[in-house]
Amino acid sequence: MIVPFSHVFILAAAVFFIGLACVLARRNLIMILIGIEIMMNAAAIAFVGGALHWGRLDGQAFVLFILGVAATEVAVGLALVVAAHRVTGSVDPDRYNLLRR
Amino acid sequence: MSLHAAIFYLLGALILGSAGLAVTRRNPVHAVVYLIFSFVGSAMLFFLLGAPFLAALEVIIYAGAVMILFLFVVMMLKAESADQASLSLRRWIPPLVVGLLFVALAALTAMREPGGAEVLKSATVAPRVFGRYVFERYWLAVEIISVLLLLGLLAAVQLGIKGTPKGNGTETKTGAES
Amino acid sequence: MISPLLKEFGFAATAITLGMPFASFVVITLFTRAHPRLSAGLSISAVSISMLSALSLLFRLWPLEKPLEYSTLWYGGHDFSLFFGFLLDPSSLLMFSLVAVICLLVQVYSLGYMEGDPGFSRYYAFQSLFAWAMLSLAVSTSLLQLYIFWEVVGLCSYLLIGFWYERFSATQAGKKAFVMTRLGDASFFVGVLLLLVHLGDLSIMELNDASTAARLSPGFLTLCVLLVFGGIIGKSAQFPLMTWLPDAMEGPTPVSALLHSATMVAAGVFLFVRLFPFFSRSETAMTVCLTVGTISMLMASTMAMVDRDIKKVWAYSTISQLGYMVMGLAAGSSFAGYFHLTTHALFKALLFLCSGVWIHYFETNDMYEIARKNGRSLKTPLVCTVLAAASLSGLPPLAGFFSKETILASLLDRPDPIWFAAALLGVFMTAYYAFRPVFIILFPRNLDPQDEEHRGGAPYLAMALPLLVLAGLTLGIGWFERSLESFLGMAPPGEHAWLTPVSVSVAFLGVFLTWFEFGRRTAPQMGFVERIRPLKTFFLRRWFLDDLYAFLLKQVVYRLLARSFTQNDQRVIDGGIEGIARLAVGSGRICSYIQSGLLRLNLMVMLLVVVLMGLYFFLL
Repeated sequence: MIVPFSHVFILAAAVFFIGLACVLARRNLIMILIGIEIMMNAAAIAFVGGALHWGRLDGQAFVLFILGVAATEVAVGLALVVAAHRVTGSVDPDRYNLLRR
Repeated sequence: MSLHAAIFYLLGALILGSAGLAVTRRNPVHAVVYLIFSFVGSAMLFFLLGAPFLAALEVIIYAGAVMILFLFVVMMLKAESADQASLSLRRWIPPLVVGLLFVALAALTAMREPGGAEVLKSATVAPRVFGRYVFERYWLAVEIISVLLLLGLLAAVQLGIKGTPKGNGTETKTGAES
Repeated sequence: MISPLLKEFGFAATAITLGMPFASFVVITLFTRAHPRLSAGLSISAVSISMLSALSLLFRLWPLEKPLEYSTLWYGGHDFSLFFGFLLDPSSLLMFSLVAVICLLVQVYSLGYMEGDPGFSRYYAFQSLFAWAMLSLAVSTSLLQLYIFWEVVGLCSYLLIGFWYERFSATQAGKKAFVMTRLGDASFFVGVLLLLVHLGDLSIMELNDASTAARLSPGFLTLCVLLVFGGIIGKSAQFPLMTWLPDAMEGPTPVSALLHSATMVAAGVFLFVRLFPFFSRSETAMTVCLTVGTISMLMASTMAMVDRDIKKVWAYSTISQLGYMVMGLAAGSSFAGYFHLTTHALFKALLFLCSGVWIHYFETNDMYEIARKNGRSLKTPLVCTVLAAASLSGLPPLAGFFSKETILASLLDRPDPIWFAAALLGVFMTAYYAFRPVFIILFPRNLDPQDEEHRGGAPYLAMALPLLVLAGLTLGIGWFERSLESFLGMAPPGEHAWLTPVSVSVAFLGVFLTWFEFGRRTAPQMGFVERIRPLKTFFLRRWFLDDLYAFLLKQVVYRLLARSFTQNDQRVIDGGIEGIARLAVGSGRICSYIQSGLLRLNLMVMLLVVVLMGLYFFLL
C-alpha cells in the first residue's frame, strides 16, 4: 500500500512545474537545459507511477526511451550552447538576435 | 499512513525541494549539485514504485553522466553568474502564473480520473523481466534510440568542430584542396 | 405571299449591297493606297453595284406587305437574346436606297472636288467604310446592331471631318464632333442596356410590338425613350448638342453633303422613325421630343440668318430641318418626319454640292466673296441652288413643299396651336436664310471677275452631273408622296384646307423680305438682324452655346469633376494603397515584436495554449 495514484501524478506535475518555471524564467541557457531535464524527469515519474497503477510494463519501457532522448538532448544541447557561446560570447538566449540586427 | 506512503511523501519533498533550490541558484554549479539530489530522489522513488532497473539507470545516466556533462560545460564556459535580473520576482511572476495554471490543470485531471483515488499496490519488476519485455515489444524503439544516440554523438562532435573560429577552417580547407 | 425565291433574292441583294463597299474599303486600305485613281474606281464601282442592288431590291419588293427578316442568334442566354441580321421593311428599304443613291452621287462628285488631293485613296476608303456602315445601319434588325453601326458612322464622321488633319481647326472640329455625339451615344447606350435588361430582346420588330411596351411601367418606358432620344439629339445635332455640326464643316464639302446633311445626321431621325411605335407609347417623352425639335429648329434658323460662311448657313439649316423632322415625328406622324427626311436628304445634298463647286473654284467659303468673284458665272450650281433653296423654303412644286406641308399638317393635328405657330415662324425664317445666299450670289456688288480659263473640263463635269441628277430628284420626288405613303404604310396627317395657302404665303413673304434686303437693285445687302449689333453677335456666336459649354467644361468638368477625381486618385486610391502598404509594414513590425527571439515568451504562449486546450478538452 503506497499512496493514491493521483498523488504520484500531482508530484509529477509539481516537478514539471518547477522545470517549466526554470525554463521560462532563467536567462541562462544551461539553466534552461536543466529545466528541461527536470521536466523530463517529471514525465518519467508519471510514467513509472502509471506503470504501477495499471500493472503494465509499457510505462517503464517509455522511461527507458525518455532517458535515451534526454541523454541525446543534453549532448546536442550542450554542444549547441558551446557553439553559441563561441559565436556570441554569451549563454543568454535573449542575446541570440543576430538576425534582427 | 503506511511506511511506503511516508517514504513517498519524504521522497516527494526531497525531489521538489532540491529541484526548487536547483532552479533558483544563481551559480550553475550549485544548481547542478542540487539537481543531483533531486535525481537521486527520483531514483529512489522509482525503486519505491517498483522499477529497480530504471532507478539504477536514473542514477547512472541522469545523476551520473548528464550532470557531469553539465558540470563540464559550466566550468568550460565559465558561465557568467551575473544572472541577477533572472532572479528578480518580476521575472518570475508570469512563468509562475502560467505554471500554476498548468499544475492546477494537471491536478484536476488527476482528480477526475476514475482510478485516481485508487491506492497503488507495491510490486517489483525484475530487470530480467523488464529487459525481456522491452526487447520483445519495443525492439524497434530501442534500435531507434540507439541510432538517435549515435546521431547525437555525431552532432555534438560536428558542432564542436564547426565551432572553431571561421578563418582557420577555410584556411585548412583551401590548403587541403591545393 | 412571298415566294421563297424572292426571299432568297432579298437576302442576296442585301448582302451584295452591304458587302461591296466593305470589300472596297478593305481592298483600298490594304492594297491600293498608292493608286488614287484605282481606289476611286474601286469605290465608285462598288457603291454603284450597291446602288443597283438596293434599287432593284426596292422595286422588286415594292408593295411590301410583310417585313422580311433574316436574322441569326448572335448571343443568347436564358433571359435575353441578341439577334443580328437584316430587317427589310418599307422604311429601311427606302433609307437603304436613299443612302446608296446619295453615296454614289457624292462619290462621283468627289472625283472632281478632291482631284489631286494627297489623301485621295484614304478619302475613298473612308467613303466606302461610311457607305457600308450607313447601309448596315439602315437594315439592322436589332437595336444593338444598329447601335454598333451608329458608332461606326460616328467614327467615319470623325475621320472625314478631320480629313485634312494638317489643319488644326479640322482636327479640333473632328474631336468636338466625336465628343459631343459621344455624349448622346452614352445616353443611347444606357437606354439600350436598360431595355435589354428589362425586355431581354432588342429586336426592332419586337420593341415596336404593342405587347412589349406594355411590359414596361409608364415611367420606365419614358425614361428609356428619353435615353434613346439622347442619342438622337447627339447624332442629329439637336438642342443642346447642336454646335458640333457647323464646326464639322471643316471637312471636305462632299463629306458635309453626305454625312453632315443627307445621311449620317439623319440617322438620328431614322432611328426615331424605326422606333416610332415604341416612342409614341410615351406621351411625356413625345412632348419632350417635340420641344427639343422646336427649340433646335428656331435656334438654328436664327443662326443661319446671319452667318456669312455659306457652308455654315447650310449646316444651321440642316439642324433646323432635322428639328422639323423631329417635330413632325413627335407630333405623331411618322410619315411626315420620314418624308421630310427623304426630300431633305436630296435637296440639302444638292445645296452642299452646289456650294462645293463654288468653294472648289473660288477657294472661299464666304458668300460675299463668292459673289464678288462672279460666282453666278457657274450656271449649273446657280440654277441648282435656286431650285434647292426654293425646295428648302417649301415653295411649290418642289420636294420640300410637299414634305413640309405634311409636317405642318401633323402639327396642326395637335390640340395646342403653339407648335404650329413656331413651325410657321420657322418656315418664314427658312425662306429668308435660304434665299439670302442665293440673292447675294445672284446680284453681286463690286464685281471682281477672275479669269475663267481653268474652269470646265472633266472635273467640272464630274461635279455637275450629280447636281443635275439631284436636281431632277428634287423636282420629281414630291409627286410620289401618295405612293410613298402607301408603300411605307404610315398614316398621313390630317387634311387642312387653308394650310397650303398660309404656309406658301409665309414662305413667299420670307423670300420677298430677302429680295427686299438683298436682291433689289438698291438693296443694302444687309439683313434686318445684322443691323441690330447685339442680336447679330448673339446669333453669330450661336447663342453663346459654345461659351456655355466651355464654361461648363472648365467649371464642372475640369474644376469639379477632374479635381475631385484627381483628389480621389491621390487621396483615396494612392492613399489607400499607401495605407495598405503601411499596414503591411506596420503589421510586419508588430509581428516582428512577437517574433522577438525571446524564447521564454514563445514558450509561455505555447504553454498557455496547451493549458487552454487542456481546459477545453478535459474539463469542459
